[in-house]
Amino acid sequence: MFIPCYVDLVYPEVGVSVVRVLRRLGVEVTYPEGQTCCGQPAFNSGFFEEARTVARHFLDVFESEECDYVVCPSGSCATMASHYYPLVFEGLAGERARSEALGARVREFSDFLVNVLGVRELGARHAGKAVFHCGCHQRRELGVLEEPRELLRDVEGLDLLEWRNEELCCGFGGTFSVKMPDVSTAMADEKIRALEESGADTLISGDSSCLMHLEGRLQRTGPATRVYHLAQILDTEDGEVV
Amino acid sequence: METGKPARSRDTLDRRHEGIESKVEGFNDRARRALEDEFLHESVARFTKKSVASRQAALERLPEAPELRETAYRIKQETMANLDRYLEQLAGAVEERGGKVFFASDGEEVVNYVGELARRRGSKVVTKSKSMATEEIELNRRLEESYGELGLEIIETDLGEWIAQLAGDHPSHIVAPIVHMNRHQIADVLSGVAGEALPPNVEDLLQFARKRLREKFLAADIGITGVNFGVAETGTICTVTNEGNGRLVSSVPPVHVAVMGIEKVIPKLEDLSVFTRILGRSSTGQDLSVYTNLVTGPRQEGELDGPEEFHLILMDNGRSDLLGTEFEEALYCIRCGACLNVCPVYRQTGGHAYGSTYSGPIGAVITPLLKGNEEAKDLPHASSLCGACTEACPVGIPLHELLLKLRNRQVDEGLAGKGQSVAFKGFENTMKSPALYKISGKVGRMAQKPLVKDGKIGRKLPGPLAGWTGTRDLPALAKKPFRELWREGI
Amino acid sequence: MADRAEFIKDIRSRLQNHRSRGEYRPTHAPDVPWTPSAERRRESPVSGDLPARFLGELEALGGHGRRVASIEEARDYVLSLARERGAELLVRWDEEELEELGVDAPVREAGTEVSVWRDLPDFREVAGSAEIGLTTADWAVAETGSLVVTSGPGHGRSVTLLPPTHVAVVRVEKMLPTVAEAIALYAKNGGLPANVCFHTGPSRSGDIEQALAIGVHGPGDVHVVLVG
Repeated sequence: MFIPCYVDLVYPEVGVSVVRVLRRLGVEVTYPEGQTCCGQPAFNSGFFEEARTVARHFLDVFESEECDYVVCPSGSCATMASHYYPLVFEGLAGERARSEALGARVREFSDFLVNVLGVRELGARHAGKAVFHCGCHQRRELGVLEEPRELLRDVEGLDLLEWRNEELCCGFGGTFSVKMPDVSTAMADEKIRALEESGADTLISGDSSCLMHLEGRLQRTGPATRVYHLAQILDTEDGEVV
Repeated sequence: METGKPARSRDTLDRRHEGIESKVEGFNDRARRALEDEFLHESVARFTKKSVASRQAALERLPEAPELRETAYRIKQETMANLDRYLEQLAGAVEERGGKVFFASDGEEVVNYVGELARRRGSKVVTKSKSMATEEIELNRRLEESYGELGLEIIETDLGEWIAQLAGDHPSHIVAPIVHMNRHQIADVLSGVAGEALPPNVEDLLQFARKRLREKFLAADIGITGVNFGVAETGTICTVTNEGNGRLVSSVPPVHVAVMGIEKVIPKLEDLSVFTRILGRSSTGQDLSVYTNLVTGPRQEGELDGPEEFHLILMDNGRSDLLGTEFEEALYCIRCGACLNVCPVYRQTGGHAYGSTYSGPIGAVITPLLKGNEEAKDLPHASSLCGACTEACPVGIPLHELLLKLRNRQVDEGLAGKGQSVAFKGFENTMKSPALYKISGKVGRMAQKPLVKDGKIGRKLPGPLAGWTGTRDLPALAKKPFRELWREGI
Repeated sequence: MADRAEFIKDIRSRLQNHRSRGEYRPTHAPDVPWTPSAERRRESPVSGDLPARFLGELEALGGHGRRVASIEEARDYVLSLARERGAELLVRWDEEELEELGVDAPVREAGTEVSVWRDLPDFREVAGSAEIGLTTADWAVAETGSLVVTSGPGHGRSVTLLPPTHVAVVRVEKMLPTVAEAIALYAKNGGLPANVCFHTGPSRSGDIEQALAIGVHGPGDVHVVLVG
């Protein structure tokens, strides 16, 4: 299991839910404690060399682990390890091959549940009217768009709503949110307007980074909205998020 | 010469104009201004929504679209790999049909060639159809400056381009040049030309424009067009318009000058059917643009109309620098505008925020490549890397990947700034060492204490996080990271 | 002036780099709505009743089309169009098929002057003042509702362009399924006239607040009569 750095530090409860859901499905979960970050912040900012060092560390940690899959509760970090490492290691044949081999085993959480385990129904229960935001990497690079929806549709009591322009980026974009704060905020505002129009009271995503951005903006200006990672909804006990 | 200026809306327009004149820096400042412009915002949203929906519908009617995209990519790839040969072939074929060919290394050479041509012909009136290549080199302004003694009247004939020209403004979208202007502003501009107040309704404005531009089409001594595709095999240039101005400009005046970026060459006539099938559909959702015009040399024996002289200018202006580099794919662009229409950043800011002839994702890629990284420093960062552009591109340019590579090039060239460089060095050192990572977490949890309230930082911080915390709350680091919870047992 | 040999040499030297590196591919393949799939057909499914498809496409674009059985009916169509438009001048291509159509005399009788595209002192004057331009077409393309018009002696480009109304009389044998097939024919015949233009419906612009405006520079009133 790969728990991205910001989930580890800011949203540990998401990691806990992932473990609980996987165990409930009979998956043997290991957490290599040497793991840190996939290197994406440096990579997205153009610091490829720095990203390479971190990616190398990632390869070292997860290659030494005896596991069939590396499951990650973030479409974005999973994309980094499965799709962008080859670019990070461009021109370095050995490491590129290593990254491709490992990358094939890296799976985003809902992708793993639906396409590897074949899970449809988890028996989760949660009352609310929700919209699902699919992170852009998960949507376009991974193409894992329907899987989280399928899982959410089976959550008892949860009304999954459509919302306008759901394919639009939330405006996070890593350092983009700090370098271009006005545009980034305007993008978040557009999502929040669509959320309001939909009548949803709950926002769910497979990427805590998008949620951090939208929730941060919601707390300043938006309507009261409950914000959860997909894993938290699938891990509800007696209808409550743990 | 017509110098009709808007009577009332000068302020708004001039303010925009100023933005363009400044260097390709300050994306944030220009974006902020754009965000305050409600009409712009609403108009861009409406336009892009319509374009995206029409494009989607048009592609659904084209079952072989994916193969076409692959084929288009391969044709471009093959062309660039042998560009020298195809350019020679194109030039030879045009000359065989009685046309003249001029190779221009930069904008200056284009300006001089057209200027000297106008001098030789004693030309006064020059009509132009939409051409990004001549926008890029500011042909109109430079001709008027360098060849002022000829008293040339240069008229853009695409409706939107004409209005932008009259307003002293610049196009803000490849396909919809004045998507940023409302009908009142447009009426003001055209009233200045008419010498009387025109009502702000589309039909009246259109009738006025048609009448006024018709006089110019008939009076023109030289017609200048851009080129969508230049076919090496036959010496044919293809120019696509919806209004018909491109066809008029290349049919009625005695001289036709086509200005073409060297990357617009395609090997064979049959390749054209690949690109015409994707261009209109990607651009406006039309199966084919209204006038897809193929010109092969000047008029032939026995013809009454069509140009007596045909000149093809093949312009480099920085393009060849990209050949054989990791940025070569930026040259595959067919200027359809699909990447602008799907871009969530363009959607918020419109085109002028980019401060360049080319806006949106392709503008953010190509401007630093043609103008230099230093001058267009902000543009590779004007993207959340969501990849909608790459998904929409009909020739498969990996736009968001090119943006990443441009960011990387800035770092390599030392343009990223010291603060960032130090920060990412620190990031690298921390993340390669689990021990250091753990300690950093601890330090962070202690350091945040005075700032955190209710599990978050709810006010604007100074320093590097000001950009975030100015408009958004920041969640606090959790009391215990996941790794501690794991150790304790879940 | 840039020297051509130097220009080409410079490009060639930049390409050395390219050639030595071999084929370049983007890191990941184009995705979602473009993803190739084996079941997809390679060619557009344009088959069946081509004239009907053509007329449907043309109407959808805001043009007018009619299929008629005989040359007489085509003549009547042009004649009533001239009447309805109250045209003072009709300009037409100098073309055998249009001679056979025999519209000149009845149209003149109806009060519309007819100018034929030959030996004109000033083509701008004629094409610029005519209300109607009458032509044939090389091809009519079913897939897109396009007319393919070409230049040549007697075939003025302006006739299809300057008058606000353009009417083309096209024999039904001139139907082609797709644009690609039209282009392929020109490619196979190994030579293009100085000008070939695909006209796909009336001239249009959306530049003013995205309102669809018809007939901005080219003809806004487009008619195609398919004969046979």
